[in-house]
Amino acid sequence: MQFSFTTDQLEFAAGLRDMLEREFTAARLRHVWESGDAHDPALWSRLAEMGVLSMMVPEADGGLGGNFVDTILLVEELGRAAVPGPVVETMALGALALSGTKWAPGVVDGSTPVTAALLGERYVPHAAVAPLVLVAHGGNVELLESPIRSDETIGGIDGGRGLSTLMDITGGTALDADLAGLTDAGALASAAYLLGLSSRMLAIAGDYARDRRQFGQPIGAFQAVKHLMADALLKVEFSRPAIYRAAWSFANDTPDRGRDVSMAKALASDGAQKAARSALQVHGAIGYTWECDLQLFMKKAWALIPAWGSAQHHRRRVADAVLGRR
Amino acid sequence: MDLRETPEEAAFRAEARAWLAANVPTEPLPSFDTAEGFALHREWEAKLYEAGWSAVSWPVEYGGRGLDYLLWLIFEEEYWRSGAPGRVSQNGIFLLGPTIIEVGTEEQKARFLPAMASSKEVWAQAWSEPDAGSDMASIRSKGTLSDDGTEWILNGQKIWASRAVWADWCFGIFRTDPESSRHKGLTFILVPLDTPGVTVRPIAQLDGDTGFAEIFFDDVHVPVENTLGGVGRGWNVAMATAGFERGVSLRSPARFNVAVERLIELWVAIGDPDDDTMRDAVTDLWMQAEGYRLHTYMTVTKLLEGGTVGSESSLNKIFWSEMDLRAHELALQLLGPEAERMDGPFESWVDGFLFSLSGPIYAGTNEVQRNIIADRVLNLPRA
Repeated sequence: MQFSFTTDQLEFAAGLRDMLEREFTAARLRHVWESGDAHDPALWSRLAEMGVLSMMVPEADGGLGGNFVDTILLVEELGRAAVPGPVVETMALGALALSGTKWAPGVVDGSTPVTAALLGERYVPHAAVAPLVLVAHGGNVELLESPIRSDETIGGIDGGRGLSTLMDITGGTALDADLAGLTDAGALASAAYLLGLSSRMLAIAGDYARDRRQFGQPIGAFQAVKHLMADALLKVEFSRPAIYRAAWSFANDTPDRGRDVSMAKALASDGAQKAARSALQVHGAIGYTWECDLQLFMKKAWALIPAWGSAQHHRRRVADAVLGRR
Repeated sequence: MDLRETPEEAAFRAEARAWLAANVPTEPLPSFDTAEGFALHREWEAKLYEAGWSAVSWPVEYGGRGLDYLLWLIFEEEYWRSGAPGRVSQNGIFLLGPTIIEVGTEEQKARFLPAMASSKEVWAQAWSEPDAGSDMASIRSKGTLSDDGTEWILNGQKIWASRAVWADWCFGIFRTDPESSRHKGLTFILVPLDTPGVTVRPIAQLDGDTGFAEIFFDDVHVPVENTLGGVGRGWNVAMATAGFERGVSLRSPARFNVAVERLIELWVAIGDPDDDTMRDAVTDLWMQAEGYRLHTYMTVTKLLEGGTVGSESSLNKIFWSEMDLRAHELALQLLGPEAERMDGPFESWVDGFLFSLSGPIYAGTNEVQRNIIADRVLNLPRA
């Protein structure tokens, strides 16, 4: 039993974090939102170049041939920076579903981002920027290439998700991919992304609580603020090992994979909900403004919490595994 | 990362399981907060010690097996799963023992550890005072050096001393520099409870048993050799003990996993299958217990790889104490009218509920833990 990451895994994640802190500032994220693009092609190329996008693409396809344990910290870092665009879908689902196909190289070099609508999503995220869309028909996975989108503009809460409706999701190319595995991959990657978001929101709230003064002292010195933040940290930190464990279960395809992924997504969603709510409250009115960067992270969390199955959906799936199906 | 058990770990688990299956009393022992129960628990501890199970993570020369914390966790899992008695030795083996191993002299290790491991000597803790509860640094019990410098003369009062009614020794901190205040000038001293001048007055707990006590010190003479970790260093020594208590050792995950397994059995037996709210709540508890187990395995791996555990251990203390309370609240909700009965078939849930209420209070209230997290983990400004 060894519940830790290798030096290589930790260093890759630290390198990604450094790069994002330097190059992908909140101001740049805000620009992506306000431009309406919901995507940052230059950043995407940078992630491709570093090998982040192709961590789970097999070596035979030019990827790094890693598994979900190798990937989980990277997704967490992307979440910490609230990187826009279909990162979760490309890194987790695209890499797995398109391995051995002619589309795999486009995942590796970043030329063809991948998105997914495997759960019959009414509003498909990232379809405007991702030419490849994974869909499900009768339990099988198919790939649509540049499907026709409705002309209707759909304004989403998260400016980095670019929602569309697809006019026709039939006529795709059948893929040799496991639908349940892909939906688990989506839930697990979202959980890791949410964990990164939660940590970032608490860091932003901590900075503010140290800086903002009322009644002659920093508000972080008040016990009410301390306890609010300690409770949020508690929820987030106890979701962390569940998320890492689920990555191991996924990588090793254990019999408990579904249960473990659902536990991870349920706890990550609850943690992010609490972190967002607490961080906003610590900020007070300034947190309620468009100008405050906190909103960029909260809204991403609110978009991802229901994605790939709500906390309630996943809690019920854990219940079925632990208490028996009913 | 490899979450599978190694062959060595699996073999150790099998060995522990087999011994426990053959030796755990078939009937539960009476509470160790009663005279009869205390004596029976001490006998059980002696049996554990004889077979080498009482302090598996301690060095071999002091009565342990010299095992790492991963194997200790596995032992704990098997211990609680087997339904074995609660550990009347816990203040010694899990709190004081590791502190003596860390800061004690060779003489102290040889003198105290084997007798602690075998429960020939059972230890009580003596931290709080009537005016020093959450604010432990306001301790006033005094230690004065005798004229010849060979003895401490102790005066004052300690309170909420768990196990003190029937224990043999106690450990606590005393103000040995009368000019000092707060965290300075305190010394960690070990005191035999049969020393003249020591008076132990039992206090009945919420459940009516005398699980804790007041200890009065009235010109109590103990040798200066009973100083642990150096004169004036008592606060640091106590914090090492308290940190370990909150962090890893006091409440290993296994007991909560077992409590939640029992809750699930109760839900299956008497829960309303259409009550989705209760089903969700029970599932949440399972996830919490599982989350705590995973968190502990991650912490222990970190320790084994040379890392340290600091103030983040306060997170554990809040987490397990609130989880335990929640599990018992849910059980009582499931039990309906039976939850009012203290002597029925569900007695252990009602007893357990009362005990679980102490969790958010002892070992530093959860409010104090939240302050520690805010100050030292989140780096918020001190008040």
